[in-house]
Amino acid sequence: MKSVFLLQWQRFRRAPVMMLSFLVMTIIFVALLAGNNPAERSAILTYADASLSAPEAEDWVASLNEAGEFKFQLMDENEVREAVAAGDAPLALRLMEGNYRIVLAADDMSRFVLEAFLNRKYREELRFQQVEQQTAGSDIRTEVAALMEEPPLQIVTATLDGKEEFRYDNQLQLLFGMTLFFSVYTIMFSLMKIVEEKKYGTWDRLILSPVGKWEIYLGHLAYSFTIGYFQIVLIFVLFKYVFNFDVGDRFGAILLIIACYTFAIVALSMLVMSLVSRPQQLQAVVPIIATGMAMIGGAFWPIELVNSNMLLAISKILPITYGLDALKGVAIYDRSWQELSEPISILLLYGVVCMGIGINLMERRNY
Amino acid sequence: MLETEELKKVFKGKTAVEGASLYLDKGESVGLLGPNGAGKSTTISMISTLLKPTSGDVRLNGKSVIKNPSEMRRVLGVVPQEIALYGELTAYENLKFFGRIYGLSGKALETAIQRSLELVGLMERQKEIVKTYSGGMKRRVNIAAAMMHEPEVIIMDEPTVGIDPQSRSHILEMVRQLNQEKGLTVLYTSHYMEEVERLCDRVYIMDHGKIIASGTKEELKSILSSEETVWIELDRPYPEFFKELQSFEMIKQATETEKGIKLILPKGSRVLGKVFQASERHQVQIINVNVQTPSLEDVFLHLTGRKLRD
Repeated sequence: MKSVFLLQWQRFRRAPVMMLSFLVMTIIFVALLAGNNPAERSAILTYADASLSAPEAEDWVASLNEAGEFKFQLMDENEVREAVAAGDAPLALRLMEGNYRIVLAADDMSRFVLEAFLNRKYREELRFQQVEQQTAGSDIRTEVAALMEEPPLQIVTATLDGKEEFRYDNQLQLLFGMTLFFSVYTIMFSLMKIVEEKKYGTWDRLILSPVGKWEIYLGHLAYSFTIGYFQIVLIFVLFKYVFNFDVGDRFGAILLIIACYTFAIVALSMLVMSLVSRPQQLQAVVPIIATGMAMIGGAFWPIELVNSNMLLAISKILPITYGLDALKGVAIYDRSWQELSEPISILLLYGVVCMGIGINLMERRNY
Repeated sequence: MLETEELKKVFKGKTAVEGASLYLDKGESVGLLGPNGAGKSTTISMISTLLKPTSGDVRLNGKSVIKNPSEMRRVLGVVPQEIALYGELTAYENLKFFGRIYGLSGKALETAIQRSLELVGLMERQKEIVKTYSGGMKRRVNIAAAMMHEPEVIIMDEPTVGIDPQSRSHILEMVRQLNQEKGLTVLYTSHYMEEVERLCDRVYIMDHGKIIASGTKEELKSILSSEETVWIELDRPYPEFFKELQSFEMIKQATETEKGIKLILPKGSRVLGKVFQASERHQVQIINVNVQTPSLEDVFLHLTGRKLRD
């Protein structure tokens, strides 16, 4: 097994371009597309009308920037209006006394997200101001902050089917989706070596040697698992520590989920290999499987946005659905191990079943 | 040493090999001759334990290897028809890997690599990437890989397909050395008659999945000992002349070739006079007439009614 495993790495070192291209493509896609995240956008140009004094306007901008969801930049009204009119800024914000206006040159989908944020912040701030007027001298803001650490009432939001409320994080959706998507290519193309060996006769040489058949399979499977696993881990580490993506504090759980997902994809690849006889066929089949699985399984957009019952039913047989569910469960929803056990178990079961069928079919074709 | 008994292989209802019985004595060089699709590769796949026969048996020193192939695999080296190498690695790295899977390591592995490279004459170019080699060099490494564990029996499945005459000659000489100087038992399949004639002591002829004749080269040729072959070289084809020759009762077989006509006649028959008379009638220009003793090619033609490379 060790010889076969090491041989694959030796071959990889001689021709690494294809495998590395999947790693690079993942990084490029995530880095570019995640730039659309509201938090990463350029500053929203802001000006105050005559109803606000300069210090009041500055206070409002500081308060809005405090949340960190958007970045607001206070400027002169004329400059802001010129920038919007010239198309240099898609929208701008006009601050008024106890109110605001969004200035648009053309309709922009992102205004809904901005509007929701401003509504929330204005309500909160205006309530504070009202209370401060009524209770002159008291530091209501500090008191509220202290109370919120241990709130007297806790509101738990739940949907009718008992699932958590859908929370969307553009960065993590892209990071998880694209990484799992491109890893399918890496794993399937790395395992394609088995089909190549069978076609070019080296498989027969291995069979005739004292190396057991299970050792040959294990050597190939271990290589595909390792290369797929490290690709995903490397990307997650890169985006967590270099690009500062917030993947949560439970990186150990994420590593475990990646291992289970990689195992399931290696097993699925084995099943696919058993159904094709030529490497050329695989080159056509792999993109169809990877892209189809990513689209239906929620790698390109959140599965929560899909309404079709048929697509949702199909997504239930795809490992990427469970991989994404478990990863989001850790990074976004901070689910417990008990809750994570369901997608993890399904991934493992999926792997065992596909591996069993795949190896069986492959062996049957030999005789 | 090695024998098969009534080997049969059926693929999806189609019989690829039927009733193939053959044997190899220790140190013998045996040829398995037949056109493409005759069942040679299937037969050797069954002998080398890569393919389970539908029925029949393969025995090594009297013991069946169908259920327990490990003993056979230990003494066997197989040179497949394909270039079964890792193209992105060097010849040295390929041999190192194939040596390792046979349990070789350290000095023993290094010695085996150098011995195999020397055998195929690639010592100087061992560090070059295999896919940059010529077809002939790749074939030589293909043979070296099968020799890494010093097998007692080597099966070569058309090892000279698609290579230049110089490399072919080198490989044939190498096989001859392995058999005659190192005492290796060789089963050599080919559809090149001259290779089998040059290398093999005994020959099995296969066609349509069956062994249709076997014996030493002399025994096979004696099938045609009562016949002789006459080559008539012509300046161009003469269809009417050929038609008339076919009607001669004394001529057992007439074949039109690129350069003329080939006739198989009973030995001692006095038909040539009539042939010349016919040539006069058809105003045929004969360039050369050659009377030959039979070759294996003639034997094959006689047995199957077609040429080996058809």
